[in-house]
Amino acid sequence: MDLNVHMAEQAAIHHGVPQAYVDLTAMLKEVKPDVVHITTPPASHLSLGTLAIEHGAHVYVEKPFAVDAREARELMATAERHGRLVCVGHNMTFDSPFLRLRDAYRRGELGEIVHVEGYMGYNLAGPFGAIFMGDPTNWTHRLPGGFAQNNISHPLSMILEFLDDEAPGVVAVGQRFRKERYGDVRDCVLDEIRATLIGRSATANLVFTSQARPVQLYVQVHGTKRQAICHLDSRTLRYVDGAAMPGPFRRIQWAYEDLKQARREHRRLVRRFLSGKMHFFEGMSELFRQFYDAVAGRAEMPIPMSEAVRVTAVMDEIFKQCEENRPADRDQEAGDLASAIGGGQAR
Amino acid sequence: MILITGATGFLGRSVLRRLAQQPGETLRCLVRPGSDPDELAALIKDLPSGRAIEFFPASFNNLDALKRAVEDVSIVYHIAASKSGSFAAQTANTVVSTENLLLACKDANLARFVLVGSFAVMGVAGLPKGAVVDESTPLEAHPEWRDPYTYAKLRQERLALDYWRQGVLVVVVRPGVIYGPGEPVLTTRVGVSMFGWFLFLGGANFVPLTYVDNCADAVIAAGVAEDVVGEVLNVCDNDLPTARQIFRLYRRRVGWIRFFPIALPLLKLIARVNVWYSEKSGGNLPIVFSPYQVDTAWKFLRFSNAKATKCLGWQPRVSIKEGLELVLASQPKT
Repeated sequence: MDLNVHMAEQAAIHHGVPQAYVDLTAMLKEVKPDVVHITTPPASHLSLGTLAIEHGAHVYVEKPFAVDAREARELMATAERHGRLVCVGHNMTFDSPFLRLRDAYRRGELGEIVHVEGYMGYNLAGPFGAIFMGDPTNWTHRLPGGFAQNNISHPLSMILEFLDDEAPGVVAVGQRFRKERYGDVRDCVLDEIRATLIGRSATANLVFTSQARPVQLYVQVHGTKRQAICHLDSRTLRYVDGAAMPGPFRRIQWAYEDLKQARREHRRLVRRFLSGKMHFFEGMSELFRQFYDAVAGRAEMPIPMSEAVRVTAVMDEIFKQCEENRPADRDQEAGDLASAIGGGQAR
Repeated sequence: MILITGATGFLGRSVLRRLAQQPGETLRCLVRPGSDPDELAALIKDLPSGRAIEFFPASFNNLDALKRAVEDVSIVYHIAASKSGSFAAQTANTVVSTENLLLACKDANLARFVLVGSFAVMGVAGLPKGAVVDESTPLEAHPEWRDPYTYAKLRQERLALDYWRQGVLVVVVRPGVIYGPGEPVLTTRVGVSMFGWFLFLGGANFVPLTYVDNCADAVIAAGVAEDVVGEVLNVCDNDLPTARQIFRLYRRRVGWIRFFPIALPLLKLIARVNVWYSEKSGGNLPIVFSPYQVDTAWKFLRFSNAKATKCLGWQPRVSIKEGLELVLASQPKT
């Protein structure tokens, strides 16, 4: 189903679906689906999700879940009122390395969490970046957090798995390092975001950058027992346990332990490839499977609906502060960033 | 006023340059809003000053802007299209954009709408070996089995001809493989680079090349030729070379290349294994070649430009020999 007939038809033909629709209500009435996947821009998630729920469907909503927390709460309340389930598309939290990280955390292998680093890079010249940077009317420009809002839910949803707080404290700054040349909304797009989340027992940093290379997405979790580095691009999970040998041998042992971890992950990846398990959207498939199990009453929801609201609320706070801390010029930007994160050189 | 879309692209630049050589109406280039002014300035820097040239920033998603862009326009050369991306991306960037432009043109007083299509839309997989491909060749019945580009270009051509039936004076020019200086000449019809090797696949298959300036001549001619409205015209050069001839010339002129020739039966076997494994593993490896795609690309077909030469009074000015020499001279030496 797509409002544009060409887009609806290409999806139907490409995926071997017999019927394409340009009217959601007509589709809901005719097909009576058990589950509706909403993959439209976020401004339509509340209205489309509500319509689907009112027609008896459970709903899978692509990230970002909603434009803001108010809409997220409203969608959740509608779902609860109708006894339907809503699942947010935080699919990367179901990629294999993150599943392993989650298991290790729950088994207590990391100890208590002290700090989490979440890093996401983005290429503005990439396939999707070129689309919205080439079009000032693109929907991403109408989001409160711009294109960053369409992306940071990935690292944020991972970070928040390790922070218990319902609403951690947030200190955030947004910056723009690109040359101003469009004369329209695209000149306002923030291409760098730094946020610190302060919880009762742990803290986290979020780095979103479109300048740094290589583009990558990872989380580093620092526990009282060991550190884990979960890399979503290389699909690896490595632990840092340090070294116990004395003096210079400690450094050699440390590097050797790193080498062993890398070698183990390399072998694991080769095995996954050869056994046909290395899929681009493996996390999404796993999330769908678990969500459908929940819909069928066979399992708990893979992501509680309240988690979608919590992530959205933290994003709201980040973008609110980015707007408030928007620097007037580059020098000012650097100063603000330094003071906001408590000193140090910004760039 | 003449409107050109895709003027910053490979073919579009050549169309713009050749139109600028002739005195006449102002040339209006539709460009993305926010296009780099330095790049646009470089585009027209060395052009002959036969005509005034203006840039009109407009998104293909903005119908009002497109309507303003076609005001006072007599001929539209619609060259812009997406060459890469998913089915959804290419449908959005090629099909939806073309429909918006055609909608804008519907009420405009156009003398001609020239759509640059593609050879890809023809369904050659079912043709017998050695058949002649021309405008009577049936359209591809299963573009979704080929690739997103074929799907989008086929939908685009059908859409344009629908609008012709609704009164827009459409001509479709379908170029073969456009080549020229600065572009790689070893296209997928010759072979593919993989893991540092060049897999030579084309063998004795003819490659329907058209030198970029020859193709630009045909596109321009389609905007003014009489009795071509509603027609589809295949454009390729004369005396087409085989993939083997191109590859040999490449190695002689450009330098040594590590290659591995793959015979057609072996390629078909690889394609079958590729599809089997991709489906069995749920997409662990993408489908690089399917047997259907192999049948489409390498079937010892011959290609005719007879209709284009007759209807447009067009002849390639640059011969294949001259064109290949120019292109190979521009390739970085290995």
